[in-house]
Amino acid sequence: MDFVLDDTTRERLRQIRDLGRTYMRPLGLEADRLGRPTPPEDPFFKLLVQLGLGRTRWSGEPGVEPAAARAHGGGGARSVVVLAEEMSYWDRGVAVSFPGPGLGEPPVLSMGTPEQQQRFLEPFRKPDRPRWAAFAMTEPGAGSDVAGIRTSARREGDCYVLNGAKSFAANASRADWIVVFATVDPSLGREGHRAFVVERGTPGLGDFQVEHKMGLKAYESTSFTLKNCRVPAANLLGDEEHYARRAGFKGAMQSFNATRPTIAAMAVGMGRAALDETLAFAREHGLLRESRARDRLERIRRRLRAARLLCWRAAWLADLRRPNMLEASMAKAVAPAVALEAAIFGMDLLGEVGGRGDHLVEKLFRDVKAMDIVEGTGQIQRIVMARQLVHLPRDGAT
Amino acid sequence: MVQETARAFAHDHLRPRDREFESARGVAPHVHHLYRDLGLAGLELPEALGGADLGAFARTLVNEELAAADAGAALALDPLGPALYPLIAFGGDDALRAHAVPLLERAGARAVLALDLLPRLETLGGRARGILPWVPADRVDLLVVLERERAYVVSDGLHLTQLRGAALRAAGASELRVDGVARPADWVSTPRARWALAHARLYVASLLVGVMRAAAEFSRAYAMERVAFGRPIAHHQALAFLISDMASAVDGARLLVQEAAWRLDRAADLAAEPDIDGGAEACATAFLEAAEAALFVTPNGVQILGGHGFMQDYPVEKWMREARALSLLLGGVDAAREDAGRALLSDAEPLALDPASRSAAGAP
Repeated sequence: MDFVLDDTTRERLRQIRDLGRTYMRPLGLEADRLGRPTPPEDPFFKLLVQLGLGRTRWSGEPGVEPAAARAHGGGGARSVVVLAEEMSYWDRGVAVSFPGPGLGEPPVLSMGTPEQQQRFLEPFRKPDRPRWAAFAMTEPGAGSDVAGIRTSARREGDCYVLNGAKSFAANASRADWIVVFATVDPSLGREGHRAFVVERGTPGLGDFQVEHKMGLKAYESTSFTLKNCRVPAANLLGDEEHYARRAGFKGAMQSFNATRPTIAAMAVGMGRAALDETLAFAREHGLLRESRARDRLERIRRRLRAARLLCWRAAWLADLRRPNMLEASMAKAVAPAVALEAAIFGMDLLGEVGGRGDHLVEKLFRDVKAMDIVEGTGQIQRIVMARQLVHLPRDGAT
Repeated sequence: MVQETARAFAHDHLRPRDREFESARGVAPHVHHLYRDLGLAGLELPEALGGADLGAFARTLVNEELAAADAGAALALDPLGPALYPLIAFGGDDALRAHAVPLLERAGARAVLALDLLPRLETLGGRARGILPWVPADRVDLLVVLERERAYVVSDGLHLTQLRGAALRAAGASELRVDGVARPADWVSTPRARWALAHARLYVASLLVGVMRAAAEFSRAYAMERVAFGRPIAHHQALAFLISDMASAVDGARLLVQEAAWRLDRAADLAAEPDIDGGAEACATAFLEAAEAALFVTPNGVQILGGHGFMQDYPVEKWMREARALSLLLGGVDAAREDAGRALLSDAEPLALDPASRSAAGAP
């Protein structure tokens, strides 16, 4: 693996650092203090749009699949991982609140027809104003076990009728559209899943409720319901044949994954922020003279560096289109725990200053816990790893 | 390429005979010859001196492969071992010609590196005197002593008393009483001493990676075969998770070792002087991680095999002892922790992503 960062990535890093220092860190602290997400009309989002951020990776040419490398203007998945770490170093909550198609984009790109890509992503090519899209899989009764979702989809003429409840969808109440996963037959498990683009204002889509979280308050995690929500059949991503085809390729799918190392890298960034803040505090108070403090800080630096390299390796494999399921899960299993350790130790060193509830390290301590939960908990990652390492069966044993 | 050579050699000639080498306190002569013929003996020596002129990264690859088969043999076979680095740092080609090359030509010869921080050896009137409680060797042709600011060599007055040794017995185990001429007197330079120590730590760290890889692999395979309560023990989640965490520990340590090696090699490309660009801290950190990870992985290798693991019929107990013994070398984990921790005093943002802002930080 090459340890050098390319010039484009380094240039983007500098841009993020400037944005981070000037806007992201203060906005994140403000949202945390006020206990509410940064409102969609905040001038920061307009600035991002003016800077050309928050755009789609879609090429604009129907049928031309965007290469990850081109899409992110640099070195592919590894570049994404590096930049994600830097964004989260400044504020992970604010990073998720950035305008753009967000997590709604990958399913439209991977499953959508050329017409659907044109319809839903064109507004994100050169957006006139901050626009968001969202993704909704998780339900009150189904998190890691996605096969257990209960939101139903029933065909009626030119429409599908959706009924159910979705939880914790980022940016959902401000989104132009939400990719909603529903099942046509719960007994089929994942094979029964269908993905729909549900547009804002569709009758039956409602009850938006911004959840109150322990941390990461800068972006909205929103629950909503679908009550006899009639979605045009044209909004089913792909078509019925697409899903029939996909069922046949089960197992061949997903031989590499670039999302888990990205989430893991965000945890590394948050851990690094905790390390730097703790170091600054330790310097200011002359605590580095003691080897007890140095030893623990050393361990945090070391474990974060190892976690970062695990993220890089998984992303590097994804760039080479080589199988990385083990490595992607390994990064995701390791990094959040290390980052939490960084924040926990930071609080130790701060002592009662950490107890005040107004220090960045205390905020990071709350923020970072989410990273071991989203995109597959640490336990799920170990199960995925064990499938690769010891052929852990998918049935009773797990 | 060199990694594959080392892997094949280790697989064919070291692994099948590890217990034999251990009880014989040495490696069979024809294995020594093979090792030399493959060019593994002079891996990092300049071509002008008959070496392969490879860098730290190649060293980490080779050491991992050899130690995954038999770490004791890896030490026994390398006539120079980490003692090479002070010679390069302080004496350059002349010192290599005088001290290193002759050892390559002497069958079974060994140089030993002692990191002497206390110091345990006193040097008065050009003589070094004192006792080193354990060196992993039954024969010492050359002792290289490294301190914080200087280095010297001793080649006479080296008296060995054989010990049982906690591990690495294939390389031997002795108490070393020193009463000989220490020379030269002018090998004094803190940056050069740091450079040598960084490389030496990487040498041992990569052996540790090999040992823990062997333990993780062996116990993983065993857990898929062994059945308890109606299924392979690997399919009980407690063990499935443990095996996953062991794999993470091995890979994390290996990546830190390789990244540290990359830093050393990059610094070597950039500067004529042995200047290290954060490499010293990275190598201390890699050593520490390799030691901690190995001492997590190898005892759990024994654990997975249960009662069998405790028996010497299986190799896992040997790997556990080797991990412990290797991580005692070069001042052990506490010296490494001290060095890695001290780097925090000068580095405001130790993990900043932009390398441009880092180039000056770790330079001595």
